[in-house]
Amino acid sequence: MSAHDHDHDHDHAPIQAGDQPPGYYEIMETAVRELLVEKGMIKAGEIRRQIEVLDSRNPALGAKVVARAWVDPDFRARLLANGRAGCEELGISFYDDTQLIVLENTDKVHNLIVCTLCSCYPRPVLGLPPDRYKLKPYRARAVIEPRAVLAEFGTHIPEDVEIRVSDSTAMVRYLVLPKRPAGTETLSEEELAGLVTRDAMIGVVPVENVAAGGGAA
Amino acid sequence: MTDTEAFVKTLPNDIGGLPAGPIQRVEHDLEPWEKRCHALADVLDFHKIINTEEKRRGVEALGSELIGKLTYYERWIVTFANILFQKQLLTPEELARKMDEVAARRSP
Repeated sequence: MSAHDHDHDHDHAPIQAGDQPPGYYEIMETAVRELLVEKGMIKAGEIRRQIEVLDSRNPALGAKVVARAWVDPDFRARLLANGRAGCEELGISFYDDTQLIVLENTDKVHNLIVCTLCSCYPRPVLGLPPDRYKLKPYRARAVIEPRAVLAEFGTHIPEDVEIRVSDSTAMVRYLVLPKRPAGTETLSEEELAGLVTRDAMIGVVPVENVAAGGGAA
Repeated sequence: MTDTEAFVKTLPNDIGGLPAGPIQRVEHDLEPWEKRCHALADVLDFHKIINTEEKRRGVEALGSELIGKLTYYERWIVTFANILFQKQLLTPEELARKMDEVAARRSP
């Protein structure tokens, strides 16, 4: 059979902790993948490489983008005009065909992102979404009662601030540019990036100035 | 195996705006096979064999009952199999034989 068939390729992680046999769907995954490789439609090496790409993506990349936007107004303007091009400027490649729209939080507007249909998410800049982003309660409720959803994260947005919920699609993804917290004027770009969390870039929490001993109101 | 394996229904997965319970603050690290499944999805997209929107519609086509019973990546792999059958790139018999082979390989 195919070249890689002798003993396949998951040295990077033990397949099972115990002697539990693989489940039905894991067997299906292995079978589909091996059939596609045998038929020459994909290569085993492509799967391995893509796993490495997935492993290389995490919210620190998005945090770098946010911090740069805070310190560099020209970059912020370019990022808001074209999110994908802005990220690529910082060396963050997009491995798919998706476009990225960056949504800026202001004193008047708070942005929240969701994918009601499934789990579309700005993976190139944030990595994989948390499970709750993919589960029904968040997807169902974010678009109809965002303030109640935010309150469950401890986030209370004043009534005079508009909440805008953006529903992601297969081709268009969103990233929230959070407000820079007060009292961070002296922080370096790297220190600023360290304040930016994944959840802040989804829009469910603000960025807190932890160095100042907790976010002032 | 389980009753989930027998269903094929079509119901939409468009749940935005429906009532639902509290946000579940759960996280888990992907199992190795789940990560391989995710990488497979991306590679299938790169080769224009199955794109993201086809995958999404394919998950919808599983029907709400099965969607509710399968985990996230279980839905994906079942969907890939269905789409590959529809596109006549794989046959159900080929997959069944390969799954038997894979299962036998791992049980000493």
